[in-house]
Amino acid sequence: MKIGPLNIPIKEDFSLKSILDFERTPINMLLAVSVLAMLAMLLLGVGNYLIHSHHAYNVTREHPWGLMIAVYIFFVVSSTGFCIVGSLGDVFGFKDFTMISKRAIFGSIVTIMAGFTVIAFEIGHPVTMLIYNVLTPGLTSAIWWMGTLYGLYLTFMIIEFYFLLNNDMKKAKIFGLTGLLVGLAAHSNLGSVFGFLNARTISQGVYYPTYFILTAFITGIFLSFIVMGFRYKLNFDDKTKKLLEGLAKIQGLLISILIFFMTWKLLTDMYGGMPNRAEVAHHIIHSTPFYAEVILAMIIPLLVILKDFGKSPVLMFWASLSGMVGIFFMRYNLVHDTQVKPLQMMKTNEYQLPPEWIEYFPSATEIMISLGGLGLCIALYYVGTKAFDLDESH
Amino acid sequence: MARYGMALDYKNCINCKACEVACKEENGVELGAEKHRIWVGGNNPDGQWPLLDIASAAFMPSQCQHCEDAPCQEVCPTNATYYDENHVVRVDSDKCILCSYCMNACPYDARYVDDRTMTVDKCTFCSDTRLARGETTTACQNTCPTKVRTFGDLDDPNSEISELLRTRDHFSLKAHLGTNPKLFYLT
Ligand code: SF4
Ligand code: SF4
Repeated sequence: MKIGPLNIPIKEDFSLKSILDFERTPINMLLAVSVLAMLAMLLLGVGNYLIHSHHAYNVTREHPWGLMIAVYIFFVVSSTGFCIVGSLGDVFGFKDFTMISKRAIFGSIVTIMAGFTVIAFEIGHPVTMLIYNVLTPGLTSAIWWMGTLYGLYLTFMIIEFYFLLNNDMKKAKIFGLTGLLVGLAAHSNLGSVFGFLNARTISQGVYYPTYFILTAFITGIFLSFIVMGFRYKLNFDDKTKKLLEGLAKIQGLLISILIFFMTWKLLTDMYGGMPNRAEVAHHIIHSTPFYAEVILAMIIPLLVILKDFGKSPVLMFWASLSGMVGIFFMRYNLVHDTQVKPLQMMKTNEYQLPPEWIEYFPSATEIMISLGGLGLCIALYYVGTKAFDLDESH
Repeated sequence: MARYGMALDYKNCINCKACEVACKEENGVELGAEKHRIWVGGNNPDGQWPLLDIASAAFMPSQCQHCEDAPCQEVCPTNATYYDENHVVRVDSDKCILCSYCMNACPYDARYVDDRTMTVDKCTFCSDTRLARGETTTACQNTCPTKVRTFGDLDDPNSEISELLRTRDHFSLKAHLGTNPKLFYLT
């Protein structure tokens, strides 16, 4: 360990050379090439956006929020999830979980940075936002609270990570707890961005603000399996096995609760055939992305956990990859389904043919920037593993 | 300081769309179907030919309802959407960050993106144009051949609109959402 600027302990051999130095296995090479391709897409997508501004996106008057909002949510949910998992050990003192704290907190920083990158190109005027968020804050706006709290949260996470690196557990705990509380508040505010939409009966209500916290925890556990899988190349030692078994058991419980949540949400949506809400719920359960969400994020991981109560970490690693794809669909569905029902202002003639459902498919630019966000997230994380010691310090 | 609203004798609407054209012309609204501040909605008559229920096939001109409790204003993170001194719901394009939250929160599909400023635009009751020049009518009202629209000050008991609302039955769109629209449909 050498001490870098601001007293940050950095790995002795950290350099460009150490970044390029990885085992040249086919899987690693494939991953490296994919990440580079995704970063190239980010540049291409952003370039296209700068030339054509929002015309490069397929968002419309009726469907103003598109893929990039879903991807932003995906990243910030991941960040909150990492933060919850990281807090289990260093804030709440569960000894078995401390070995992942530093890694998870670092994960929470890189995921939210990727999220902020994507949203910066989705919001029309990010600089104006920074100015008027402060000068004329819209205190009744869930987006204001969500954005402001996430900004604070990122600051706390960085400070916590700093103290974790310096092994100052007491201070790490204080900032960790504050960051966790701010992060949870930010995250449920993100749910309320949808929950406050009185015009969209399918999303309106208390469901999303609470469900977001639950799904964040689930996402955090999936991600923990993925980062630990890469860290140990799927050869887990006993200590890690114990950690992962614990996480898998919690995950089993959380996914079961989620299934309850979703079942009752959909049943109450459909019950009594309330106009608008019931139709949308029927539409949802007949759409393919809904099944992608259910099968990939819930059924597959739950079956793997139930098989031997979480004792197969390698299988859980694969189930977690499936889980994260499912979580992506979960976010996409949330955004799309909120807007899928036309607002029925009788605009049936020239402006729109009477559409029963609003169609949306992301443009190439939206897809490129979104994948670019993923590439950025993986690249930052990888550089972090080279620069910092993310294992538990002794 | 007024409290502007509009009453629509919508059953008189003949779907000539002169109001849509006048609005675009007067306020320099961008061309293109998606870019509209006001519109004339219509539905198909109920029933099967030849037993059509002619009375059900109404035309319904609409636009921003200038809600007294506007969801678009509540959700705006930078207060770019605001109530002006005449209770007209307006957007300050300098402050709008194009988060599109208001477009999703408005129950009336009244907002769209103006590509020139890349901010959200909507009906202003001609505040920047006709009212600013001292006129007392909106472009859509002025052009309507069947006098569907009556624009005026709801706080002035002697205004034509106040008189209409006192003497005629009327309803608002999606009133159950508690937005308190200032657009009134006369029955
Ligand atoms: S109709 Fe829509 S845009 Fe107009 S004030 Fe109401 S919520 Fe706002
Ligand atoms: S798009 Fe503009 S006016 Fe609408 S909520 Fe966002 S900042 Fe406010």
